Amino acid sequence: MDRKQLQYQVACMRKSLFDQGYLDEQFNQLEDLQDEANPNFVEEVVTLFYSDSARFIHNIEQAMINKPNIDYGKLDDYMHQFKGSSSSFGAKKVKKECSQFRECCSAGNIEGCIKTFRQLKLEHATLKRKLETYFQLVKQAGIAERR
Amino acid sequence: MESGAVHTQQQEEEKQKQQREEEEEKREQQKEEEEENFHVLAVDDSFIDRKLLERLLKESSYQVTLVDSGDKALEYLGLLDSIDNVNATSSSSSSSQSPQQEGMKVNLIMTDYCMPGMSGYDLLKRVKGSYWKDVPVVIMSSENIPSRIRMCLEEGAEEFLLKPLQLSDVEKLQTHLLKSPEKYSSIRIDDSSFNTESSSVTVSSKSNIASKRKALSPEIEERRPKLKGLAVV
Repeated sequence: MDRKQLQYQVACMRKSLFDQGYLDEQFNQLEDLQDEANPNFVEEVVTLFYSDSARFIHNIEQAMINKPNIDYGKLDDYMHQFKGSSSSFGAKKVKKECSQFRECCSAGNIEGCIKTFRQLKLEHATLKRKLETYFQLVKQAGIAERR
Repeated sequence: MESGAVHTQQQEEEKQKQQREEEEEKREQQKEEEEENFHVLAVDDSFIDRKLLERLLKESSYQVTLVDSGDKALEYLGLLDSIDNVNATSSSSSSSQSPQQEGMKVNLIMTDYCMPGMSGYDLLKRVKGSYWKDVPVVIMSSENIPSRIRMCLEEGAEEFLLKPLQLSDVEKLQTHLLKSPEKYSSIRIDDSSFNTESSSVTVSSKSNIASKRKALSPEIEERRPKLKGLAVV
């Protein structure tokens, strides 16, 4: 596939990620910070997020499962951090689920928390797959450019 | 022939001298650039936010030092030990009136509000009660809580920024920096041990901040991918 076609694919995928609400403006901001000296900045941030988020998810699960007395304050703290991280790179849907979760927390609604958390993990995994594909495509298009 | 050999030796010496002078010049230049570029101390417990901050600040030609807690920030500023600012590892008198001439400067402190342990607000108070009190402090938070914002501003914060941060937020800090004193010297501390990240001091090849103005709005609003020669239909 030639360069133009690859670049077109990249642009299309990017557009759909935005149109479908997976990413928001903050992702743009990060891409704008990329230059020759920092060509993979966005991918680095995303990689960092996903290496960190596994820990969050684990902590939250531990704090929720099989607990007679849920520490909602702690849960909220974890989710606050998680929300902050996802919002820093524009993970729109993930961020939304985080907000939802926090609402359930403040209402002491454990059922809601569990349900929302399930949805959160889904969005988290989906975005990861999509971004992996996206970055792969970007690399291919970049390599094609250099030839 | 004799004269030929001497000539070569002279040339060699000349060359070495030139090299030394060039190196000296380079060092001077680096030093100058370091002094020209504003130095920001950024405090945030989130790994991602630190990475973002670093990129944003370096993009704006600032030197950056990143730490992951209020305690580390105080340590860096030499404020950790006590209210009296007596630091055993540093040199003699930690005078509260006139900081010593040589040493580091901090032109701006940026801190997250919500951090485990010491909050950004607590850090703000500590800084404002020290000889760093004239250094502008900017608080960052992901939560837009008016009473929180008010509280920080009342305590002397220069600005309250909502996360996630964007380049335009950092760019507008320039006005705050230009207000602050040129240098804020302190007892020289080996600051390489403080950095939570691998890179801190950057000698930027970009020129002095005052003369550098980025065309903001077109860039920020541009939503097209940064790929050349592409038309998205």
